[in-house]
Amino acid sequence: MTNETGNDEIEKDAPAPEPAAPLQLGEPGEHPLSVLLFSWMRSRGFYRGLMAVLAALGVLLIALEFIVPRRGYLPLEGLPGFFGVFGFIAFSLAVLSGWPLGRLLRRPEDYYEREAGDDS
Amino acid sequence: MTVDRLLEFLATINPGFFLILAAIPAAFATGTVARVIALIGGPLLALVVLLYPPVAGIEVAKGTFLGFDIAVYRPDSLSLIFGFGFVLAALLGGIFSMHRVDRLQDAAGLVYAGSALGAVFAGGLVSLVVFWELTAIASAVLVFARRSPQAYRAGMRYLVIQMISGVLMMTGAAMYGIEAGSFLIADLGSAQDGVLVGLFDMELPGAWLMLAGVGIKAGFPLIHNWLTDAYPNTTETGAVTLSPYTTTLAVYVLARGFAGMDWLVWVGAAMTVYPVFFAVLENDLRKVLAYSTNNQIGFMIVAVGIGTPLALNGAAAHAVAHIVFKSLLFMAMGAVLLRTGTTKATELGGLHRTMPYTTLFCLIGAASISALPYLAGFASKSMIMSAVHSGPGLYVVWLMLLFASAGVLEHSGIKIPFFAFFSHDSGRRPKEAPFVMLLAMGLAAGLCIAIGTSPAWFYALLPYRDQALEYLAQDLFTPAHLLEQMQLLCFAVLAFMVLRWFRLYPAEKRGVILDVEWVWRKGVPAVLEPAGRGIGAATHAIKAAKDKVTRGVVAGARQVFEPSAWVSRKIPMAVTAVFSLCLLALVLVTALFS
Repeated sequence: MTNETGNDEIEKDAPAPEPAAPLQLGEPGEHPLSVLLFSWMRSRGFYRGLMAVLAALGVLLIALEFIVPRRGYLPLEGLPGFFGVFGFIAFSLAVLSGWPLGRLLRRPEDYYEREAGDDS
Repeated sequence: MTVDRLLEFLATINPGFFLILAAIPAAFATGTVARVIALIGGPLLALVVLLYPPVAGIEVAKGTFLGFDIAVYRPDSLSLIFGFGFVLAALLGGIFSMHRVDRLQDAAGLVYAGSALGAVFAGGLVSLVVFWELTAIASAVLVFARRSPQAYRAGMRYLVIQMISGVLMMTGAAMYGIEAGSFLIADLGSAQDGVLVGLFDMELPGAWLMLAGVGIKAGFPLIHNWLTDAYPNTTETGAVTLSPYTTTLAVYVLARGFAGMDWLVWVGAAMTVYPVFFAVLENDLRKVLAYSTNNQIGFMIVAVGIGTPLALNGAAAHAVAHIVFKSLLFMAMGAVLLRTGTTKATELGGLHRTMPYTTLFCLIGAASISALPYLAGFASKSMIMSAVHSGPGLYVVWLMLLFASAGVLEHSGIKIPFFAFFSHDSGRRPKEAPFVMLLAMGLAAGLCIAIGTSPAWFYALLPYRDQALEYLAQDLFTPAHLLEQMQLLCFAVLAFMVLRWFRLYPAEKRGVILDVEWVWRKGVPAVLEPAGRGIGAATHAIKAAKDKVTRGVVAGARQVFEPSAWVSRKIPMAVTAVFSLCLLALVLVTALFS
C-alpha cells in the first residue's frame, strides 16, 4: 500500500524511531508529592549545602543582634550569639550523652519479659 | 423551640455528658453513618455548646448527692480553654479512628474524653472525683484494646497506677471537703484576677493527698513511667486517644488547686530536663513521644508553680497547643504503625517516598512542638518562657527550660520525622495513610498553623484574656524574641547536622532503656519472688508434716478399733453398750445444767 506521499518503502526500511525515554523524576514508585517536596533532598551535596546555609543563617542571626534592640537583662543573655551558642551546646550535650547512657541503660528488648519469668 | 432556646438548654449541661452519651451508640455502631454520628457528632455538639456564650462562673447544675453538695457544671475561663482542647482532641481522634471499626475503642475513647471534659467543668470535688475515676477506667480499656499479652500486662500496670491516683484523690477530696467545710470549688477560695486558681490550703492534709494523686497523673518525676509504658502498647489509634487527656487534666487540677506553689516550679523544671536524655536513647518512636509528653507537661507545671496570670495563660495555652501538635505526632506514628507494623527507629526510614502527606503533616507537628516561630508551640510556650524570664530568682529554671527547648527539638522536632521518614532507606514502601487519617492530621496541622500565625483568636480563649492580648501586642512577635528563638533553633539543627557529619550522633539500637519502672517491673519482683518461694516451701513442709501426723493417727486408730483389731476382740458388746449409754447420759446431764 502506498501512502499519500508515496514513500512507504523508505518507511519500511528505516529503523523504528525509539520512543524517547520519559524523564525519570524521583525513584520508581515514588509518590509525586514526595518527588516534588523531598526527592531533591537526596541529591549529593544537599547535606553539605544545607549545613552551609544554616551556618550562614546563624551568622546572620548573630549579626542582626547588633541592629535589633534586645532585652538581655539576665546574666549572659546579653552576650552576642548567646542563644545560638547555648542551642548548639545544649543539643550536642543531649545527643552526646547518648553514648555513655546507652551503654549504661540499654538492655535487650525482652529484658522485662524474659527475666520476669514470663514465657509469652 | 428555636435553635437559641435549644442551645440555651444544652448550655446548662456539662458538655462531658455529650461525649459519654455518644459512647452508647458508638458501642454498637458498625456502619459508617452511625459511627460518624457518634464519633464526630458527639464532639461537634460539645464544641458548639462550648462556643455558645457560657454562664461563666455560675454553677448551672447544682444539687445534693448522698448528702454532699455537688456542682456538676461550673464553667469559667480556665475550664473553657481546657475544655476546648479536649473537644478538639476528641474531634481529631474521632476522625482519625474512622478507618477501622473497633467498637471497644470507639466507646472507651468517648467515655475517656467525656469524663476528662466533664472533670474540667466540675464545680465541686465530688463530681471532679467521679469524672477523675472514670478517666482512669476508660483509658485503661484503651491499653487493653491492643489485645496482646504484652498490652494486657501494660494495661494492668497502668490500671494499678491510675487506681492509686484515684484512691489518693478520692481520700484527699473527702478529707479536704470535710476539713474546709465545703465541697464546692466556689466556696473553697477567692478569685485571682477573676479566676479561681490555687484554691487549696496546704495546711490541710487532704490537699497533700490530692496533690499526690494529681502528681501521679501529671507524671511527676519518679512516677512518670506509666506514660512510657502504656502509650507504646496501644493500637495506632489508642495512643492518639490516650495522649491528650490524663496529663492535661492533671495540669488543669494543679492550676485550679495548687497554682503558685513554689516547689512545683522545680518539679516542672526537672520534668523538662530528664526526659530529654531518655528520649535520645529510645528506639520506639511512640515511646519517644511519651517522654516528650513528660517534657512538655513539665513546662506547664513550671508555669502553674509560678502562678501569675501570664504564667497561667502560658500553661493553659501550651496545654491546648500541646494537645494539638502531640496528637498530630501520635497520629503520624499511628499511620506508620498501621502501614508498617512498627514504630521502631531501627526498622524505619525512607517512608517519605510513599507517605509524603503523612511526612509533611509530621514535619509541621515537629516544627510546632519545637516552637518554630509562627507555629502553635511558639505562640504558647513563649508565655511560659517569658513568665520564667521575668520571675525573680528563676534564672537557673530559665536555663533548664532553654536546655529542654533544645532537647525538644532533638527528640520531637528531628528524631521523630527523621528516623521514620528520612534517614537510611529501610526499603519499606508502604501505602500512604487512609484518607480519614490524613484528614485528621491535616486538620491538626492546620490548627498548628492557625494558632501560630494568628494567635489572637486563640489568646482570646485564655483564662486571663486581657493580659494574653496585651502579651500578643507587646511581646510575642517582637524582633528580639523572634531572633532569639531562631538562633536557638538554627544552631541546634546545625549541631544535629554537624554531629551526624562527624558520625558522633549515636546510632539507633534495638533494646529497652532502664528507667524508674525497673523498680516495680524488676526490682520488687526480684525481692518478692524468692520471698514467695520461701513462704511456699515452708507452707509445703508444714502441710507435709501435718499429713504425716494425720496418717499416723488414722493408722493407729485402725489398729485399735478395726473389726479384727484389739478392742473388738477383747471387749464384749455389752460393755460397749453400757459405755455408750453412760456417755449419752453425760451429754444429757451437761445439756440440762448448762
